[in-house]
Amino acid sequence: MKILVIEDEPALYESILDYFTGEGNICEHAVNFASASEKISLYNYDCILLDLGLPDGEGLELLTNLKNSKKKDGVLIISARHSLDDRLAGLDLGADDYLVKPFHLSELKARVSAIVRRKNFDGNNIITFNDINVDVVAMKTTVGKTEVGLTKKEFDLLVYFLSNRNKVVTKNAMAEHLWGDEMDLSDDFDFIYTHVKNLKKKLSEGGAKDYLRSVYGIGYKFSDQ
Amino acid sequence: MKLSTRYNRVNILTSIVVLIITGIIYYLFIHLILTNKLDKDLAVEENEIRQYTRTYKKLPLPATYLDQQVSYRRPKSNTDDIREFSYTTYLNPKENEQEPGRRLVTTVNLNDKTIIVTITKSRVESEDLVRIILLITLAVMIFLLITLLLINRFVLNRLWKPFYAILHHMKAFEVTKMEHIIEEPTRIDEFNELNKSVNAMAEKVRQDYKELKSFTDNASHEMMTPLAVINSKLDSLLQTESFTEQQGALLEDIYQATGRLSRLHQSLLLLAKIENNLISDTQEIDFKDMIELKTRQFQELFERDKLNVSLHLSSRKVNMSRYLADILLNNLFSNAVRHNIAGGKITVSLSADRLTVSNTGKTSHLQNRMFDRFSKSTESEGMGLGLAISKQICNLYGFDIEYSNSDGMHFFEIILN
Repeated sequence: MKILVIEDEPALYESILDYFTGEGNICEHAVNFASASEKISLYNYDCILLDLGLPDGEGLELLTNLKNSKKKDGVLIISARHSLDDRLAGLDLGADDYLVKPFHLSELKARVSAIVRRKNFDGNNIITFNDINVDVVAMKTTVGKTEVGLTKKEFDLLVYFLSNRNKVVTKNAMAEHLWGDEMDLSDDFDFIYTHVKNLKKKLSEGGAKDYLRSVYGIGYKFSDQ
Repeated sequence: MKLSTRYNRVNILTSIVVLIITGIIYYLFIHLILTNKLDKDLAVEENEIRQYTRTYKKLPLPATYLDQQVSYRRPKSNTDDIREFSYTTYLNPKENEQEPGRRLVTTVNLNDKTIIVTITKSRVESEDLVRIILLITLAVMIFLLITLLLINRFVLNRLWKPFYAILHHMKAFEVTKMEHIIEEPTRIDEFNELNKSVNAMAEKVRQDYKELKSFTDNASHEMMTPLAVINSKLDSLLQTESFTEQQGALLEDIYQATGRLSRLHQSLLLLAKIENNLISDTQEIDFKDMIELKTRQFQELFERDKLNVSLHLSSRKVNMSRYLADILLNNLFSNAVRHNIAGGKITVSLSADRLTVSNTGKTSHLQNRMFDRFSKSTESEGMGLGLAISKQICNLYGFDIEYSNSDGMHFFEIILN
């Protein structure tokens, strides 16, 4: 997928670009309103990551311009503004999603993947990883030809892992993804272990290889290496 | 007491006192004037008798007219000349009854003899006159009082109308709505000034509100950006995957700390927002539905600690922000889980007037300051802001939140009004 990151903080966009690059993704970035405007008008992107607080302009204006020129680019707003008004204003103007800083890169990747999947809806709503096929619309998971019955949380977890394949995903990020960041969870995320264990068990019962492994107790990595 | 009531009271009381005093003075003066007039008449009569006596050297006939009697008598002994006016009553022969009168006792010289002359004039007429004047005065007084009352009631009410209209606008003023207070058309200078001042104040409040909002936005932005950088760098660092178990443990600690820092920051911003009433998505929500949803969300935590959860819910609709209601329930539920014992109990009951969350707990001593910011028990892993936020949310919507404990159970009650 082709992604444009509009963010003025170098340390942050470097990390994002770093995380997204690879697996056939093309990532570009713009650090201000002017260059972002230019890039948006010249090219088409699958998804634009838009920071609202830019040094030389209001991010929401970019969104308005984009929608006025009838472009189909997906837009995910990343903002430090945790205000409900801004969130609603962004979504009203046609943004696809809204993510508040600070966020986990894995969460960002999962959200961007979801937006891109929705944008390319023409038959491409199936995520494939080796022998695993996940239909995100019908919420069906198959390993080879065998259907695997997953609970809602296990399914969400699997989609999350597949969006972040070959990356280490922290338990913290997983918990926030599944239960929402508003929930003041305790720092002990061991209850996630139950879901991971069940997911692992069901996938291997379906005949899949053991792709999921624990990393130093911090998190998990889904890969076939 | 209303201003008009108070004003009425003072006004009418002083009016009555003044009217009574003027009435008395009026009465006394008229009385004096009429008495003077009677005395003059008596003097004229006396003069006539003297002249008659001088001219004809005899006394005129003691005549009795309608309202005048003249009588003569000789003094018992030799007396000096006397001339005395006095009040008296006399028998009116026509009416055959006692009537008030004015009497002049004087002396005339007839052939070197002194004769005492008594002239009596009826006071009935003048008394009648005084009475009529008094009645008219009374009538005027009552009429004046009634007019005053009516003026106070209707005119004052109308005069104060702009004031109450302005007051109504002020009460309805909401800073978040950014509206102007409507100018109330009035020709009264004081109200015009009030109108202007209120509008100036509202303008100032709006300005301050805007500044505060942009400050919280900026503070949030400036602090969240470095945090976002730390977080993303940690995520990137984790992907390099060439570190030892020990480094992994260190990384996890940093993750926890940044997570807590961002939650802490968000909580503080949230508190500021609630205090300044910056959250405005008020809508009708059913607490029952929200509690059931929250129970499902917390299912994993309940299972982890083997908690026995029971719900006794009846539908209760509340007008509040969904966002804040969610946070309130989150805080109550996390509290009930966090301070629970393994295999303990949580009971949530919702009725028309209150929401109660009770749980078995570790410590049973009561903390008075538990609703204060950053107050928490030593073993608590929370930040000590949850209950402060809950209390603030309750304050915002006029709910009461109370804590009590008995038999090792802790109760948090929200009284919904």
